[in-house]
Amino acid sequence: MKIEWGALGVVAAVSIGMSVLFTILLAGGIRFVSAARSQRNRDGSGTAVLAGGYTLLGLATVLVLLGLWLIVPQLH
Amino acid sequence: MSLLFIVIAVVVVALIFDFTNGFHDSANSMAGPIATGALTARNAVIIAAVLNVVGAFLSTEVAKTISGGFFDERLVNPSMVLAGLVGAIVWNLLTWLLGIPSSSSHALFGGLIGAVVVGAGLTSVHGWVIVSKVLLPALAAPLVAGVAAALSTKIAYRITRRTPSGQTNTGFKYAQAFTASLVALAHGTSDGQKTMGVITLVLIAAGFQTAGSGPEVWVILAAGLAIGLGTYSGGWRIMRTLGKGIVDIDTPQGAASGAATAATILASSHLGFGLSTTHVATGGILGSGVGRDGAEVRWGLARKLVVAWLLTLPGAGIVGGLAALLAGSGVVGSVALLVLLAAVCVVIWLVSRRNQVTSRNVTDSADVMVLASASPSTYPEDPRLVTPRTRAKSKKKIKSGV
Repeated sequence: MKIEWGALGVVAAVSIGMSVLFTILLAGGIRFVSAARSQRNRDGSGTAVLAGGYTLLGLATVLVLLGLWLIVPQLH
Repeated sequence: MSLLFIVIAVVVVALIFDFTNGFHDSANSMAGPIATGALTARNAVIIAAVLNVVGAFLSTEVAKTISGGFFDERLVNPSMVLAGLVGAIVWNLLTWLLGIPSSSSHALFGGLIGAVVVGAGLTSVHGWVIVSKVLLPALAAPLVAGVAAALSTKIAYRITRRTPSGQTNTGFKYAQAFTASLVALAHGTSDGQKTMGVITLVLIAAGFQTAGSGPEVWVILAAGLAIGLGTYSGGWRIMRTLGKGIVDIDTPQGAASGAATAATILASSHLGFGLSTTHVATGGILGSGVGRDGAEVRWGLARKLVVAWLLTLPGAGIVGGLAALLAGSGVVGSVALLVLLAAVCVVIWLVSRRNQVTSRNVTDSADVMVLASASPSTYPEDPRLVTPRTRAKSKKKIKSGV
């Protein structure tokens, strides 16, 4: 019987990587959407920033759906 | 007749264990969202309960082994399983009373190991497996989730530092609710099956089910409902420790710890290195405190939790072993064991009522008190804590100007 250090290392790397990626997408999306709304209130611009923000939030949602896909065995 | 009695007793006690598993672990997914206000306490446990039940139905591929490789499963008989379940339930209730989030799976394994040691001898236990499957994961899980949560928290604050907090809160709260829901669903698929596995194994061993067959529909239904009901009941004492005791959580921290917990649980379950949901969730919350500048992490409590995790296996094992001494003496011993279990449950429940933690006061304090008396003024909004005696005392104090 030996300890599976390799599996533990992969789990650590994937967990940290996915968590950080999700947070970057989420926080980035929130920041852009917020900035775009402020711009709109000021001078009516900010559509591109808003689209970028929603894109990041959409990608964060894709990660949540990936998690759901992993949990439900019938999906894979 | 005695075999039928033992089988019925195992089924009932296994479902009770499943219930305690539910309320013990509801905090793993929902402590963060409740602490930050992302979800109300009642809504959070309803969502967690429903997702746990759904999770129990999603996957019926019951683990072929209930021993986890810790001991020789061929030596297990229904009386030992009964004793092991009693050990796990008593440990779950004791740790719940103290507000300690400990692993229900480790409690189950501990109880079974204790019962097998008493019933079949010490040589039937595989010590090295305990090191690799309990001790190492108990240290690795909070470390991995903690690092992930700490980095994520730092990044979340860094990216949104110039964004008004009112606008960031809504987004982070939604994210927290979604990641918590993922954790609850994942919990249902894994922990719900443990009870199904125990019941199925005993039914097969007793000849009521053919060997190699999956769980009966009624077993899936009963186990799913038991863990769902347990989750719905809340386990508020542990919810308080995880949500308020270790660190005060803000919404970006909650979202980051939720993401770290969900990512670690999903990665570990799919890459073949099973980590306890409880240990991962606790590590995630701890990490979110480390990642936020100026956050006060209560390291003393964190150390106590780690000690409790390391004691779970031997603690539940001792109770399981003592229970096996009784259960091994036949039907009378098993009846006595069930009566004792009921008495312990009632005593723990009565002690817990001295300082109740409910959905109404779960976020009011960071401490879970056991024996110290909580005066009504501690939780003035909870009418259940005001008894005629305490009301009379309060009036007396007011009159005397104290």
